[in-house]
Amino acid sequence: MPLDQQKALLFGSAAAVRLLLFTAFPSLPNRLAGRVEVSTPVTSFKRLQEGLFLYTHNVSPYDGGVYHQAPLLLPLFSLLPNPSYYPFATSVLFTMVDLLSALALAQIAESGQSVVTRLFKSSRKDLRWSSVAIAAGFLFNPFTVATCIARSTSALTNLFILTAMAKASQGASFTFVLALSFASYLAMHPLLLFPPLLVLLYDARASKTKSAPSPFLFSVVHTLGLAAAVCALLFVSALLTGSWDFLAATYGVRLLLPDLTPNVGLWWYFFTEMFDSFREFFLGVFWLHVASYMPGLTIRLRKQPLFVATTLTGIFAIFTPYPSIADATLYLSLVPLFRHLFPLMRYTFLASASILYASFLGPAFYHLWIYAGSGNANFFYAITLVWSLGLSIIVGDSLYAALRDELDVERPELRGEEVKRI
Amino acid sequence: MPPSEGADASSAPKEDAKPSPSSPPSLDAVRLRKQPPPEGRESLWRRRSAIFSFWAVVLCLGLPVWWKTTAIYRADLPLQDMTDWAEGKICKPVFPLRIAVEAPLPPQDAHHLLRTTQHALDDLNEFSAHHLRLMLADPPAPANASQQVVVDGTRNTSDDEDIALSIRLIPVETGATPRSHLQPYSPTLDVYYTPNQIPPPSSTGSPLATFIAHELHKIFAEEQAQLAYLLSTASGGHSSKMKSLSPETSAELQRQSTRALKYAPTYHLTFSLFTPTSTPSAWDIESALRQYVAPLLDSFSAISNFTVDTQVQLYATFSPSIRQPEYDEALKAWTLRKEDLSGFINAAEWPLSPSIGKGPTVNFVLYVPDKTQSPLLVKESGANSWLIPQWGGVAILNPTAPGKDAIVSASLTKEALGPAMHTFSNQLISLLGLPQMPSSLPLRISTLARVRAASLIFSASSTLGALAQVYQKLPSIPVPDSVAKSVDLALAHLQLACDRLREGRFQGALELARIAEGEAEKAFFERSMVGQVYFPDEHKVAVYLPLLGPVAVPLVMAALKELKSGLSALRGR
Repeated sequence: MPLDQQKALLFGSAAAVRLLLFTAFPSLPNRLAGRVEVSTPVTSFKRLQEGLFLYTHNVSPYDGGVYHQAPLLLPLFSLLPNPSYYPFATSVLFTMVDLLSALALAQIAESGQSVVTRLFKSSRKDLRWSSVAIAAGFLFNPFTVATCIARSTSALTNLFILTAMAKASQGASFTFVLALSFASYLAMHPLLLFPPLLVLLYDARASKTKSAPSPFLFSVVHTLGLAAAVCALLFVSALLTGSWDFLAATYGVRLLLPDLTPNVGLWWYFFTEMFDSFREFFLGVFWLHVASYMPGLTIRLRKQPLFVATTLTGIFAIFTPYPSIADATLYLSLVPLFRHLFPLMRYTFLASASILYASFLGPAFYHLWIYAGSGNANFFYAITLVWSLGLSIIVGDSLYAALRDELDVERPELRGEEVKRI
Repeated sequence: MPPSEGADASSAPKEDAKPSPSSPPSLDAVRLRKQPPPEGRESLWRRRSAIFSFWAVVLCLGLPVWWKTTAIYRADLPLQDMTDWAEGKICKPVFPLRIAVEAPLPPQDAHHLLRTTQHALDDLNEFSAHHLRLMLADPPAPANASQQVVVDGTRNTSDDEDIALSIRLIPVETGATPRSHLQPYSPTLDVYYTPNQIPPPSSTGSPLATFIAHELHKIFAEEQAQLAYLLSTASGGHSSKMKSLSPETSAELQRQSTRALKYAPTYHLTFSLFTPTSTPSAWDIESALRQYVAPLLDSFSAISNFTVDTQVQLYATFSPSIRQPEYDEALKAWTLRKEDLSGFINAAEWPLSPSIGKGPTVNFVLYVPDKTQSPLLVKESGANSWLIPQWGGVAILNPTAPGKDAIVSASLTKEALGPAMHTFSNQLISLLGLPQMPSSLPLRISTLARVRAASLIFSASSTLGALAQVYQKLPSIPVPDSVAKSVDLALAHLQLACDRLREGRFQGALELARIAEGEAEKAFFERSMVGQVYFPDEHKVAVYLPLLGPVAVPLVMAALKELKSGLSALRGR
């Protein structure tokens, strides 16, 4: 079967599955939108509807203290018919978002930046999956489907992150900057992806044109471009809502964590238990912890920038204040790009077992805690710990594998030997 | 923790490629092993810069964040002033009372009388902080004073607050002279004399002057005792100039002050009717209060405000802890034993809430016993009312008073409530700490104002002193700016109140002292200060270590390893 046909079949079936779920189970979207694993305070569709209602009634959408998402989502969704009566348009929109994300993912896979970069060629470069398989892994991942059905706005963030990666690996400066500025505008933390993706863009451009541009000028131009794009978006948002209040209600909430609704991350429990006087300090520590990986990984894995970006999305899925399974699904869909590292990974069973364990027991424990009343918050928190443990095993193990892979290239004579620590 | 994994993973493959000089091979196994080739310059540099980048984040961002978020904000407090106030170094309260004398005499004679009386008075006075100063008043308006006084009674103390007492010298021909009469509803002392008792200009003493001096001394004796007692209990700083109190006076004052409620700008009065049956179910409390209690409350309005509410509770039973009333044949009455009176209030079941609103609550309970158990009296004394210190008063209204018809029907009239209301008024006077003497109510109230002003100044000062101690003893508590502001306000108002006292304007002093006390309490009980009182520094280890320890260990180890290899490389060169 030719490639295009495969793709068409894949996309068609993925769209059909989503639309079928939307129409055959009309109560499913709202039920999923209420799940804490899928909808966080900063991505929930229900909160978006609340903001939308205020917005269409000419009240500031942030007045209610419920809506914490970017202002530009409001005009977009106010164009659609009311989802409580005509859910079909919204369903189509979110299905399209997923398909576009899968398309971007396929583009990343086709660029081959995951195995062969300008400065590095993996010794196992022939071991890889086709772009269709990787896109299928994204589209039929149950976490992706759940995110789509719940209409969480993190699907949009994922779309922009994947598009930015795809454009960076293709060397398309303008669209890369635009996509990344949208992602940062929506969720703030994707801004940390800029340095590794800039390196990726530089490598892609350099290998395309055969004459490397000046790295300094290149980074200055793109940084200014990103700053300009983000500022323009913020300015338009301020025009739209009539004030700069949205900054505190969107990014302020992500930074300061006033809403301690449980989610699959590690922050909420920690900060419910925190002494008030140490709250600011540990907010700083947690955010610095997230940010501190970026420079170290970018420097250490300078030759594999796409891998750095992938690992950072994994770190976001674990350590950001409001993670959901949408963040995990982004990471888990990017990992198959590095199929060649799988033989070097040591804890695949442990990682996949704990992910599965957490995804089945998590909802059960949440039910025990909230609805049945026979458990308490520690039940759910323990499961989120297991979930984060599973993800961080994958992150750490893949890092090890990537470094081992680099070592194999540098010292082919050591290949296959056991690594020892002295 | 992922940081350790990340750091381990990044260093693991490198370490077996480390140049051998850094670890001199001591074991045979190590010597036999194939020597790993030297590490490439580029990868060495890259690893170091990766480690350095982690450290850069920690040092450049982490330390400022730590410094900024855990710094404890402590506003500056005028500690020395606060301590001085608490030790009584700044304000020595004095009570110069002005007494106006109206004498229908030629000015020369009047001045002479005044001077000799003042001499006699000064000889009598043992308490230097409290002294009476006589002055001549303008000749009185020829009005019949006894009509005017009731209206003027309260106004005199609040408006014309400079004058504590007026003396009117009234020449009479008959009766024993000199004699005096203190008007009960006005701060006025009428002194009757015969004209020949005016001292001649040459003499240095006269019976009239001595008489007036003794009368005045008698009137203000209790006030002096109260103030002296207050000064002696407030702090040791004032003991030097204090007049000594006899042990009996001291004990009596102690009893009074324990009985009285703590001063508050607003008191809440609750009048409750309790009955074990279904009657009486109504009482004409509103008009009774208007008639019997409201005038008293009005005259107190210069010192405190009052809010009033009332309630009726039917089928209110005794608490099971006390013995049930017994019938006493001799008294022909049901009797309660004296030791049971303290348990009379059924705190568990009677809805007497401890505090409604802002101020303290004063409870007045009117108990109407069952007809089969009346009259109900206290066994030892035969009384039907008693006072519960710092809480309120109880009165029993017997439905069938001995020798009368039943006065209690379904509802109690104003007249039936009269005796109980008088009892309550007296109890309220005791509860507010009003002195027993002298007989003039305005004088007693102005005495209370002076005593309250002084005690408020003392309590605000000692609160500030305590705050200063807390500030110095607990360096770990944060002190917000609002505390500093309250302290400044309290100090300023204390100073003003003290000045007013010195000027003899006691009403103003009371108001300022009240503000000072409020601000001092606000500063001392600031909520955000107490949060960390019980948080010693050792506990911070428990807060920091569990999270930061695991993160720091790989960072520190990696940095140490790099430093060591860097140093040995330098030495080897």
